[in-house]
Parts: sequence; C-alpha cells; structure tokens
Amino acid sequence: MGRLNQFLGLLLGGTTAMSLLLTVILVLALSAIGYVMGTHRALRSASGDQRLLHSLKGYYGQNVALSVFVPSAILLVIWLVAQPLFINQSVSGLIADQVGAEGVSSALIVQDMRRVADGLDVVVAQGVLSDDAIAALDAESTNIRDVLAGVGVAVGSDVTQLTLDGARHYRALATTGNVLRGFVVLAVALAGFAVALRRTNKDYRARNVVERGVLVLLFSAATVAVLTTVGIVFSLIFNTIDFFQTYPAADFFFGTRWEPSFSGRGGASDLGFLPLIWGTMFISIISLIVAVPLGLFSAIYLSEYASDRVRAFAKPMLEILAGIPTIVYGLFALLTVGPLLVNAFGNGGLFGVNWMSGGTAAITAGSVMGIMLIPFVSSLSDDIINAVPQAMRDGSYGLGATQSETIRQVILPAALPGIVGAILLAASRAIGETMIVVLGAGAAASLSLNPFEAMTTVTAKIVSQLTGDGEFNSPETMVAFALGMTLFVITLCLNVFALYIVRKYREQYD
Amino acid sequence: MTDYKISAKDVQVYYGDNHAIKDVNVDIEDKTVTAFIGPSGCGKSTFLRCLNRMNDTIDICRVQGDILLDGEDIYDPAVDPVQLRAKVGMVFQKPNPFPKSIYDNVAYGPKIHGLARTKAELDEIVEKSLRKAALWTEAKDRLHSPGTGLSGGQQQRLCIARAIATSPEVLLMDEPCSALDPIATAQVEELIDELRQSYSVVIVTHSMQQAARVSQKTAFFHLGNLVEFGETDKIFTNPEDPRTESYISGRIG
Repeated sequence: MGRLNQFLGLLLGGTTAMSLLLTVILVLALSAIGYVMGTHRALRSASGDQRLLHSLKGYYGQNVALSVFVPSAILLVIWLVAQPLFINQSVSGLIADQVGAEGVSSALIVQDMRRVADGLDVVVAQGVLSDDAIAALDAESTNIRDVLAGVGVAVGSDVTQLTLDGARHYRALATTGNVLRGFVVLAVALAGFAVALRRTNKDYRARNVVERGVLVLLFSAATVAVLTTVGIVFSLIFNTIDFFQTYPAADFFFGTRWEPSFSGRGGASDLGFLPLIWGTMFISIISLIVAVPLGLFSAIYLSEYASDRVRAFAKPMLEILAGIPTIVYGLFALLTVGPLLVNAFGNGGLFGVNWMSGGTAAITAGSVMGIMLIPFVSSLSDDIINAVPQAMRDGSYGLGATQSETIRQVILPAALPGIVGAILLAASRAIGETMIVVLGAGAAASLSLNPFEAMTTVTAKIVSQLTGDGEFNSPETMVAFALGMTLFVITLCLNVFALYIVRKYREQYD
Repeated sequence: MTDYKISAKDVQVYYGDNHAIKDVNVDIEDKTVTAFIGPSGCGKSTFLRCLNRMNDTIDICRVQGDILLDGEDIYDPAVDPVQLRAKVGMVFQKPNPFPKSIYDNVAYGPKIHGLARTKAELDEIVEKSLRKAALWTEAKDRLHSPGTGLSGGQQQRLCIARAIATSPEVLLMDEPCSALDPIATAQVEELIDELRQSYSVVIVTHSMQQAARVSQKTAFFHLGNLVEFGETDKIFTNPEDPRTESYISGRIG
C-alpha cells in the first residue's frame, strides 16, 4: 500500500508538466480501453451476433471512449485555467497581510514569487537540494539568487524572505493542486467509463449518442472561432474607451496633425487620425490602380483565351504570388522597387525629373502592394467569370459576335457585380496591410497628394506606437487601440458590403 | 442545285476519336422549315451546329466534307465564322437572354454588326424584331427592364427576336421548345410558321408531333447517319426506311 502511494505520488505529484502529461496519457489509455471493452460488451449482449445490435459495434466503443475523454478533458482545461488564478489570489492575500501593498506592485511581487518558485522546482529536479532542504532555507543565511543562478535560472533582484515565503507557499499550493487535479480528472474519467459501460447493451442507441457527440464537437469548434472574434472586438473596445477618456475623440477623428511626443518629454501630442487614414487610402488606391487592371486582364486571359495547358501552368504560378509572406514583399519594396523608382524619377534619373528624393514613398509601397493583390483579384475574378454560364457565350457567338465583343458586352457586364465584390475584398486587404508599408512607405504622416513623397498608414503607426518606449498607459500608446478599432470598423464595413454584392450576384445563376 | 440555301455533302464530324456524324448529305431549301428528328445522341444537334460553325468553339471537334451556303463553302479558310454566324442565326435549347434590358438584348446583334446608323433606326429594328417574334405587345412597356425577368416562353421569343434582329438568311433552332410549357410551345410554333415567309428555318426537335406540325421537310438521324430525308408528309405517312418507320411509330427511340 505504501509503495502504491509512493507510485501515485510520483505519478501525480511530480513537476507540473510531467504530472499533466501522465494524467492526459492515463485518460487517453482509459478511453482506448473503453473503446475495446464497449465494443466487446455490446457484442456479448447480442450473443456475438452483430445483426442484433441497434448500432454498428464500433459506435458502442466510441460512445464509451467519448464518455471517458470528453468530460475529463473539459474538466482538465477548466482546472488548468482556474488553478493559477486561485493560487495568485491566495499568494496576493499573503502579501496584502504582510506588506499592505496593492495593485501593480503587488502583481509584480507575485510574479517574482512565481519565478522563484519555478526556479526552486528546477533546483529540486536537478537534485541540488531536496524538498526538505528547501523547507529549511532562510533568505538571511543563504543567497537564493546564487543558488538559482547555479541551475541556470536568472532572477532580477536578490530574493527577500517575503519572496521566499511566497514562493514556498506557491509551490505548496501548486503541488497540492496538481495532485488533486490528477485524482479528480482520473475520477471523472473512471466515472464516465463506468456509466457508459453499464449502459452498453444491444438495444442502446449508441449511434445516435455518438452522432450528437460529433455535432457538439463541430459546434464548439465554430463557437470558439466566433467567440474569439467577439473577444478581439471587446479587447479593442475597452482599450479604445480608455484612450478617449484621456484624449478628446473630436481631436482624434478630425485632427489633421500626427505628432506624438514620446516618453514624458512634456508638451501635448497631436494625435490626428486624418493624415493616417489619408495615407492608408492613398496607398490603397495606388495599389488598386496596379492590381485591378493586371488582375482582371490576367483573369480574362486565363478563363477565356488560355488553353488548358497554359492554365494548368499559369494559375499555380499566380497562386505562388499569393503565398509570398508580406515581409518579403516589404523587402522587395525596400531593396528593389524603391531604388528602381529613384533611378527613374529621382535626381539625375532616367526621366531627368527630380520628383523623388528617397526610395521610401507612397508609390513604392502602393505598387508593391498592388503586385501582392494581383493573384487575389485575378483568382476571384477568374472564378466569377467562369461562373457565367456557357449559354451566354453561345448566345453571343451565335449572333456573330467575336470573342472580345462577347467578353466586353456580355461576360463582363454579367460578372461585374462579382468583380466589384472581388475588388472591394482586395481593397480591404490593402487597407489592413502592414509590413509593406512599414518598409516601403516611410514614416512621415502627411496629408499630401504627391505619390513620390514618404507617407504612412494607420497600420504602420499602430506598430510604431506599440513598439515605442512610451509608457503603456499613456495616450501615445493607447491611441494604437483607437486606430485599430477604427480600421477594423472600416474594413469590416467594406468586407460586409463586398460579400453582400458577391452573394447577390451568385444567386442569379443558381 | 443553286436552288438550295444550304447544301451539305459527305459531312463527317469527329469528336476526338468518336465519329459522330457519318456521310450526311442534306439540301435545305430557302423559305421552308426543315426538321431534324431522331433519338438522343444521334448527332442532329451536332450537325445543326456545323451549319454556322458553332462547333469551332469546341477544341476536339473536326468537320470534314462540304457545306455550301448559297454555293459557297462555309468551311473555306477565307470565310470568317463571325460573318457567317451573322447570316446563319441560332436559337438555343434553353432560353439564354443576356443579363441586359429587353431592348439591349435585341439591339445587341445590330450594334455589333453596325446595322443601324441612328438611334431611330435601331429603335425601328428592335420594334420590328420584337413584333416578328410576337413579343412586342407584351414587352413594349418594359423595354428597359431586364430580359431575365420575363417568363420562360417570353424569354425564348426574346432570343428569337434577338436572332432575327441581325436579319439572318437562315435560322437554326436547337430544340427551341424543350424548356417551354405547351402554351408557350404553341406560340413559338406559330412564330416559326410565320418566320418561314422570310427565312429558311432549320429546327431540331425531340417531338415528332412538332416536326409534323411545323416542317415541310424532315430529316431522320440515327446513330450519326442520315437515315431518311424528304417531304414531311411522306416521312410521317409512308417512310421508306424500316428504321424511320419504327422510330415514328414509337417502336424505338
């Protein structure tokens, strides 16, 4: 009995990761056993005759396996989320009792304690000190920081007695929690096993139960996706509200100057939205001027003129363009397109005009972004043009129209709503694009009509505001959320509008 | 022999390796309705599409033999299929109006062939074509609403109006009534009979009653062969070939 306890302790106590892994393995093993036993029990209840079963024998096994796995997995996930919260609460309480500190500084101390506790785990695992030795440790006589450094764990400052106590408390709670977690999860798994196995007999409608299980699984997958979207929106909303409490909304939406002042150098910041959205719109328009004709023409060629062999080669090639990471496009803008444009339009360039002084400009980012959007426009338009029924083409040819007359006067008008939808979708991608702009467009926010000038966009500014060294709760940083929220609303409206148009068009020929 | 509008000699059609039409000889007269009948897959639609070179749009299709329109070989390299199709119009099985207004549907052909010098002339062509297609009274108040909003029978008459707006010499109809109800069918058949005054009409049909009602000449196709061709009355009352007899009496097909 004592040995069994020791074994279980090792199994379930261990370090956090190990005991978790073992728990999961045990649950999985149990559901595998459940599958086999469920199948056998069902067959036995029908005296070995498969035809007498309500469902195929595999369903009985799946039913038991699911009953073991699903409740215990859900419990495990909840526990994993709840335990750290509970321990934090408890340790914070300890600090409040002793120091009276609250809020941010309290959170920092808890974080320190956690780091020390994790370090002590490593110390034990490497056999430098035993658990008993740690219990006897004293911050006054031993330099804990050195001990931790000896096993490769770096701690920011010297460990005080308070931190050490907290860390010990933390470890104690975590160990108890982990053991408890293992037992409870396994108990739930065993209970599911027993209940499902007891229910198994030849008349049990295992098939329907498994079917519902599958439904729930698929439904929860969809729910996770939807809830994540909602979560993103809410996190933006709350931070945006915080921002507008420190900075007037009217100044943000209608301000024409973007001049944030950083890191408390004093002076008020101008955080006007207009120069940024202007940059976004301007660069997006340049990119659409590049992408729409090229994409549309290539779609027309591919769907109407190209032979099967050309199509089989050209379509995948175009789709490779879509697979290039945008940072690579950014490098292309910075290193190739920018200098090329300066050679053409810069001082002493090909055209003998001095319009462009540096490689980073609206036109650099816009044209590269246009190249990025070509496959997007082309493959969507290609699908839409192909969806125009062959009868339309036959009708036009039958009247003596040539191929290009047919395309211009029958196919494109029929496909137009869909093509407009495709262009709007491309536009919303252009508006949200970041890396090309960061590398290719420069950083100056300006309300200018000159495409050869450096410009910046909403997304590029979100990056620079959040990666700057400003304090996190200053308006200069929080403005990123307001920018993100506004951009999100704009692209959302564009997407909804585009999808509405595309869908309206689709219904016409179904 | 120049009496004939279209005359086809030893026509062979291949779809890849499949020999779809074998040795077909047909002479189609001006101002008559010629019906092509036969079971599905017998090649009557394929042959019809040879007459205005619609088969050109299918890559694997090859046509051999001579098809003469007014004594000229339509498969001569010098002939532009686009010009040919303006002379030999076509109406399809399923009504396929363009997603444009009724007016623009009819004006489409005249516009691309430059048949009207002024807007007034174009209006006149549209009205005349719609009148001939017996659609004018129903459509005159809604000329600028979309052609796809008409009923099935109206759509098919719109397609006929569209085809006659380019003033073709021959009108090919590929099962023009198969998607229509009996009332719309009767209207289209009546129309075909009127069109005979000005055009040579070739119609493919699955309905033998329809062939008997509208045509003066009938050609019976079977398995890619032209089995029998002659006066409609004779084909239906006193066929020469036993296969024709079994088909029209309902024993095969």
